[in-house]
Amino acid sequence: MEGDVLVIGGGPAGMETASRISDFNRNVILIEKERELGGHILKWDRLFPDGVPASDVNNNLKESLGTTKVLLGNYLISIEKREDYHFIAQLNSGEIIKCSTVVFATGFKLFPAQKKQEYGYGLYERVITNADLETRFKKGDGLGKESPKRIGFVHCVGSRDEKICNKQCSKLCCITAIKQAIELKQLYPDTEIYCFYMDLRMYGRGYEDLYLEAQLKYGIRFIRGRVSEISQDQSGLVIVKAEDTLSSRPLKITLDWVILMAGIISERENDFLTQQLSLQLGEDGFINSVDPIQKTNQTNISGVFVTGSATGPKTLPEVINEARSTALSVNEYLNRVKNG
Amino acid sequence: MKERIIFGYDPFVIPFTLGVIFIMLYLGTGTLRILLSLSRKEALNLLRSIFSVKIFKTIKDILFDVLLHVKIFKRNILLGYMHASIAFGWFMLIFIGHIEVILYTPQRNGVIYYPVFFRYFVMETSQTLRGAFFFFLMDLFLLIVLSGIALAIYKRFRSVRLGMKRTTRHKTGDKIALWSLWLIFPLRLVAESFTADISGGSFLTGTINTLMGRFVESTLYMDTLWWAYSCALALFLFALPFSRYMHIPTEILLIFLRNAGIKSTSSRNGFAESEIYSCSSCGICIDACPMSVVDEKSNYTSVYLLRKLRRRKLDSLFLAEQCLMCGKCVELCPVEIDSCRLKFLKKRENFPDQIFDYNYLSKKHPEFKSSINRQDREKVLYYAGCMTHLTPQIYKSLFNIMDKAQIDYSFMDRDGSICCGRPLILAGGERAAKELIRVNSELIIRANAGILLLSCPICYKVFKENYSLNGVEVMHHSQYINLLIKQGKIKLKKGDFSVVYHDPCDLGRGSGVYSEPRAVISSAAVLKESSNLPAESICCGGSLASRRFSQSERESVTLHSLEKLNINNPEKLITACPLCLRSFSKLNKRETLDIAQLVEEQMI
Repeated sequence: MEGDVLVIGGGPAGMETASRISDFNRNVILIEKERELGGHILKWDRLFPDGVPASDVNNNLKESLGTTKVLLGNYLISIEKREDYHFIAQLNSGEIIKCSTVVFATGFKLFPAQKKQEYGYGLYERVITNADLETRFKKGDGLGKESPKRIGFVHCVGSRDEKICNKQCSKLCCITAIKQAIELKQLYPDTEIYCFYMDLRMYGRGYEDLYLEAQLKYGIRFIRGRVSEISQDQSGLVIVKAEDTLSSRPLKITLDWVILMAGIISERENDFLTQQLSLQLGEDGFINSVDPIQKTNQTNISGVFVTGSATGPKTLPEVINEARSTALSVNEYLNRVKNG
Repeated sequence: MKERIIFGYDPFVIPFTLGVIFIMLYLGTGTLRILLSLSRKEALNLLRSIFSVKIFKTIKDILFDVLLHVKIFKRNILLGYMHASIAFGWFMLIFIGHIEVILYTPQRNGVIYYPVFFRYFVMETSQTLRGAFFFFLMDLFLLIVLSGIALAIYKRFRSVRLGMKRTTRHKTGDKIALWSLWLIFPLRLVAESFTADISGGSFLTGTINTLMGRFVESTLYMDTLWWAYSCALALFLFALPFSRYMHIPTEILLIFLRNAGIKSTSSRNGFAESEIYSCSSCGICIDACPMSVVDEKSNYTSVYLLRKLRRRKLDSLFLAEQCLMCGKCVELCPVEIDSCRLKFLKKRENFPDQIFDYNYLSKKHPEFKSSINRQDREKVLYYAGCMTHLTPQIYKSLFNIMDKAQIDYSFMDRDGSICCGRPLILAGGERAAKELIRVNSELIIRANAGILLLSCPICYKVFKENYSLNGVEVMHHSQYINLLIKQGKIKLKKGDFSVVYHDPCDLGRGSGVYSEPRAVISSAAVLKESSNLPAESICCGGSLASRRFSQSERESVTLHSLEKLNINNPEKLITACPLCLRSFSKLNKRETLDIAQLVEEQMI
């Protein structure tokens, strides 16, 4: 199969990039390893800050794909840059793709929370992650029919944590936790909700308002201090040990549910591809841009572009904007190589 | 054999004689100081060990360790030969020299320099039988020593060839002693060779004499060479106390004291002093130390700590605080210096003892269901400790195993524990830990259980060594699972996947538990070897002992350890320590499991 552009990854970044490049009458091939387009937002119920349904966003993105050729259930097993500017890629189905540019829209992975062993994810039924909670929201289950007494959110699970080798901030979880806490409070008005945090990074427009609303309107309690360990009592409830660093006291509390805010880490599964193209990766495993200010979507190899959270944690509006700018860069590049 | 010089004296013996007197006085004072610092009990033990069959072990140890260097032979044959040839060869030269004096010039018995310069003072031809015999022996041992010296010189420049990646840096005293040591034997060879036509020589000295005779008039240089030989010896003897070669004489005292069961009680004086002076600075501990993967940290290895202690440097505390206390250097030390104990003592001497508040201890009084007031041998009391609380999957698996085996157990610290005390002890707070030990002991004894079961080797070691629990048996869960398998209470199916086992420092080297975990694993999976011997396993990097390791430095240690473990490409890594599990599982690309998790998976 031949095309101008090969976009790897069918999440929001990949879809938006593909549709914008095909607007320039370019021949775009989009491959996605799953059977459905959407990436992480497929599993998400509603999006911050205003609670727009994730499925609406996904549908809009899908509709605008235009002439893009979409290959579902496909992933690359090798890629190579030829002497001329062409790339030859082989898919798991055996198909060979020849293209002029490659866009990495490979996204991120949620931190596998069982790695943070002291939180007992996978051992205790009532310890779940932010993604699990979204799945429950999506199914309409919430946390069961009966209203839980107390729920705790643990921030920064696998983020900003040298002990499990991830130093970077995942950027989205603070506001996600607040969104989810409010949603739970809307479902179960009588439940007490605690958020255990290091510090809250409310950097986006409207985020700080949401944080204040969570405290004033919903009575969600924020405790500054990392959770040191979680255990289970005989009835299956979870016991959380933490330190309240504002009052300098150790703290032990029994909760009905604990929600771990699993952070964003790099998709290490694609390391063999980035190696074959000799792309530069950062210490955190994310792909490095050739210039972090003006050429954020170009890599050290000409003809290879990167977009979305493959270069680090990003919010959806940022991803969509970056995808559009990547489309422009790709188009300029194609004009240059094809005309001269 | 006739005396050539009538008074048996020549001025060239003066430097050597002064050197010997100096070193004898130095060693005598040192030995006396160490012996006087022994407590009454230790002194009695020493006497008992000298006047009993134990003396044979001491003599054997001295022969094997000081002269033949058997331990170094086991590490590397060339390195062993180098040490043994110099030590044993030199000893034989002195020994045979004395025999010659006793046999042939009994009137010179007791003259310090006579055996050493025997060939200068006598006339003999190798035609006689006794000349041929003794001169042959002397030449032979001289050749052996010279071959050792040649290897030593070679090692200075290419240490890797003798199995050592890194050697120690030398101080001035070391350098002087080293150069004079290199000079002594070649000078002796030339001096004796030049004299060989007068006093006789054998295959080595005789031949050289014949060869030389063709070019130079040997008698011309004779005096000069004997002077040079004597001066080289003197230089060596005067530099000895300020150099690493002090270990040659001091190790003998160390062996006597050690075989009397004496241990260090201070980081510098008494027994410690004999340990410190017995360090040969060979540097085997530098390669052995897991810290050495981080380049600058190799400056904090045991050999440098001992050097700082010897010179009473203040920053020896800083070095002691670096150590991960894995004990690998102690395991590999050819002189068997317990440097970990010295580090621990150093930290203890500098520990602030007043700042502890034990009020919280009185609040911890968990109630046990057990109503019978008598100890039940079968009953198990499980203590998870802080580390296992951070890896709950270990005790979850262990409880499933015990449920399957229908064991009656109770969980002592389900709602939080009092620390076992070992982290405090490792930090130097042995006295501060006493209170924790007291309260924990009370709780354990009150539970009336027969077995105290632990998952954490750190706890295991301290419960074994620092607690007295009225006969409660302390077991690590790898031992207990092995017991359950033996008793037939659980059955395992052997999986077809391969695993490698990591010996946790405190369980293996620390407590000598090597075979039980291996027995358990072998019945659950295919056990592959790692590249280390069990007793030389490398710290996982998570050690609680060091206060000076950054997270990224710990990661380098973990990765180094993993590399050695995964050398035979096993599918899984099995360990028996919550701390090792945490360190490894975050960086190992293969599955990392605790032994209890493996057993739970393979249980039928």
